Amino acid sequence: MSAALALTARRGAAGWRWAAPALLWLGRLILGLAIAAAVWEGAVLAFAIRPEYLPRLSAILATIAATPEAYVAGFLRTLLETLIGFAAGVVVGVLNGILFLRAPVLRDMLFPIFVVSQTIPVIAFGALVVLWFGNTLLAKAVIAFYLTFFPVTVNTLLGLQSVDPRQIALLRSFGASGRQLLLRLMLPAALPQIFVALRLGASLSLVGAIVGEWFGDTTGLGVILLQAMYTEQVTVMWAAILCAALLGTGFYAAVSLAERWLVFWGAEQ
Amino acid sequence: MQRRTLLAAAAAAPAILPFIAHAQGTQKATLRLKWLAQTQFAGFYLAKARGYYEAEGIDLTINPGGPNLLTENLVASGADTFGLSGGTDSVFAAREKNLPVVCVGVAHQQTPFVFVSRADGPIRTIQDFRGKTITTWFTGANYVLLGMLAKAGLKPGDFTMQPQQVSVTPFVDGQVDVVTATRYNEFYTLMTRMGREKLRTFVAEDQGITFPRDTLIVSETTARQKPEMVRGFLRASIRGWRDALKDQKAGVDAVMAAAPSLNRDHQEFMLVEAGKLMTAGAAAQQGLFWIDEAAVRSAHDFLREYEVIKAPIDLAKAYDGSFLATIPAADRMA
Amino acid sequence: MSREALRGLLGGALLVLLWEGVACGFALPSYTLPAVSEILASIWVQRANLITGGATTLLEALAGYAFGTAIGITLATVIIVLPWSRSAILPVVMAVNSVPVAAYSPLVLLWFGIGVSSKIALVTLAVGFTVFLSALAGFDRVDRRSVDLLRSFGAGQASVLWRLRLPAALPLIAAGMRVATVRSLIVAIVTEMLGAQSGLGWIIYQAVVGIDFVGVWSAIFVASALSLAFFGVIGWIERKVIFWR
Repeated sequence: MSAALALTARRGAAGWRWAAPALLWLGRLILGLAIAAAVWEGAVLAFAIRPEYLPRLSAILATIAATPEAYVAGFLRTLLETLIGFAAGVVVGVLNGILFLRAPVLRDMLFPIFVVSQTIPVIAFGALVVLWFGNTLLAKAVIAFYLTFFPVTVNTLLGLQSVDPRQIALLRSFGASGRQLLLRLMLPAALPQIFVALRLGASLSLVGAIVGEWFGDTTGLGVILLQAMYTEQVTVMWAAILCAALLGTGFYAAVSLAERWLVFWGAEQ
Repeated sequence: MQRRTLLAAAAAAPAILPFIAHAQGTQKATLRLKWLAQTQFAGFYLAKARGYYEAEGIDLTINPGGPNLLTENLVASGADTFGLSGGTDSVFAAREKNLPVVCVGVAHQQTPFVFVSRADGPIRTIQDFRGKTITTWFTGANYVLLGMLAKAGLKPGDFTMQPQQVSVTPFVDGQVDVVTATRYNEFYTLMTRMGREKLRTFVAEDQGITFPRDTLIVSETTARQKPEMVRGFLRASIRGWRDALKDQKAGVDAVMAAAPSLNRDHQEFMLVEAGKLMTAGAAAQQGLFWIDEAAVRSAHDFLREYEVIKAPIDLAKAYDGSFLATIPAADRMA
Repeated sequence: MSREALRGLLGGALLVLLWEGVACGFALPSYTLPAVSEILASIWVQRANLITGGATTLLEALAGYAFGTAIGITLATVIIVLPWSRSAILPVVMAVNSVPVAAYSPLVLLWFGIGVSSKIALVTLAVGFTVFLSALAGFDRVDRRSVDLLRSFGAGQASVLWRLRLPAALPLIAAGMRVATVRSLIVAIVTEMLGAQSGLGWIIYQAVVGIDFVGVWSAIFVASALSLAFFGVIGWIERKVIFWR
């Protein structure tokens, strides 16, 4: 209670002090992007790289500008699939981790099966995915989920297992219930490790969504990518890659930001 | 008076027909394509845009395909009603594995791919393939190539055959001597990169091999239980294709609406080439989607010879032209 | 045999029984779900082919795994030793990794050709990223105060890294390396499916095209067995090493 109050108070006071570094960070980001863009454009021109190997950045941007609505629609659709799959993967992964900690029998029985499940290339079973989940957005989200839940399970379990047993014993001696132990001590302690998986999952869920779109979809970055790959529209392919990179980096940054807040708060406790 | 009403009714009949169909209730159905939206499938997109399927009482959803997405599988399992599948080869393979699918029409009457060498290079005849590196798709095209070379007296060890990757760049760069190209897709890329006059093509038909592809399939259950829907689907699809081939701008527009990031020039070229393949051979006399039994049999015997198909296929069961036959020939002509 | 392994086997056996029961009980056609017995029989028939393919895939995965692990840890170390490089390296790595491996395949096939090197390159990328993220998180986990303390005793960068950061990061690096084993094989297989001359992915691709569902499952079974073995071996090594530390 008092910790929460102190936290709000500190945040209020810190509001202004946080704005300046944020602006600085934004400036640095823009500068970095500008330099990267200049290097890209310059390298292609200077070394006369053929577009099949690497097209000019300006040509790619011009391609996007020609039909922006296609890329915006694709971006939003893929983003939605990624978010749904990621959220489901995180919830199930964390629950799995807790379950496995509580029931080692289940862990020993199911864990190898989970590992095996991750060794199946989804791409080989396009027809089965359509058969089971149809042509819906859900099917893509399921694949994103499928790629996300495993690392989250592994890291949650490891994080929970690495909690100092003396701390657990201490809290127990104060009469803490199992739920209190989990919510107050173990999960916060496991948070840094869980977040490693979340950052990994941010990328994997995007990859899952894009590959999921290869099973007969109409919109999405994956669709644009695949179409361009096989008709050798090099700039369109790179435009889709660029959009995917933007989505992935943005999502990763969001997860990292959440981590900084939550883990910082966890450490304060 | 009565006569006039009758006449008026008769005149209005074609306009009313769709509503009758509506009254009977439209049936939901899906068409699974063999690949993503492109003008190779323009007729279907145009037919949908112009309401031809609705007029037949079919509420059709067009589902694109993708890599490793097998149309036969999806139609056999009932996930999709109709399918535009790989070709005669994939229908044979499906029948051999006891997938209950029936082919009710063939779009591309001739082998849609050619083998390409450099016009100024050392390969002038098919005999010159000896000792050269050829890339091709191991999805049927490899057997066509083997067959063509066998007729020219070359054995499998006489040349190097490699799987072809997505891009034709290795050929453009001269790392590969012969590349495989569909007339409507890869050939366009080769033309724009190198120029038509730089390319020499080798055609399967010149060696007496033909490989009809892009087959329309339904499941045996659909064929048995809903023959009227299959006929309606064929009628509407043919109407769409006739429109698309006559008014190619409309055909390209219908596809570009579904996939705006496509290159328009490429898509225009693709529609022209798809049209040529669809009206070639027996289709010139018999109309669109005609199942040329002789061509199907020759493809079958050819694949049997190479033991791609282990046992003979009952062609009468695998290919059913009866649905197409109910549509007047004049209405089928492109 | 340990209790864990026994339970694992029990879980696997239950799954197989369930699978076999569903496939046979509902008389599912092989294009929906073939029976396990059918798949195992097919593996036996195809064994020569699968062994060669499996060897190729395993070679690609192992080579890529070795490169990727080395690069991932090195890159994370660089960021720790040279803190200013973090804001330059991290976004680039993230951007590169956000794109599915398959999307790079046309490019990588162009650069490295259709042989094993293109697969090794992509496995390196995937494994490298996984290990990099884990290692970085591990190095970062160290308490600032401990670093300051050690510094105040005159310890240099290298010493802080070796004495403090590496031991703290080991469990996380280990977890990353374990997750990466599975990734390495799957990336090798997916890349093979998009263009190769041999390997399990190539076998799968040909089976898909030839509508040979049992063939697809056979190759997947072999791939899973390899992954599980790889996962187990890395886990075993980890337990030894971390125990020793």
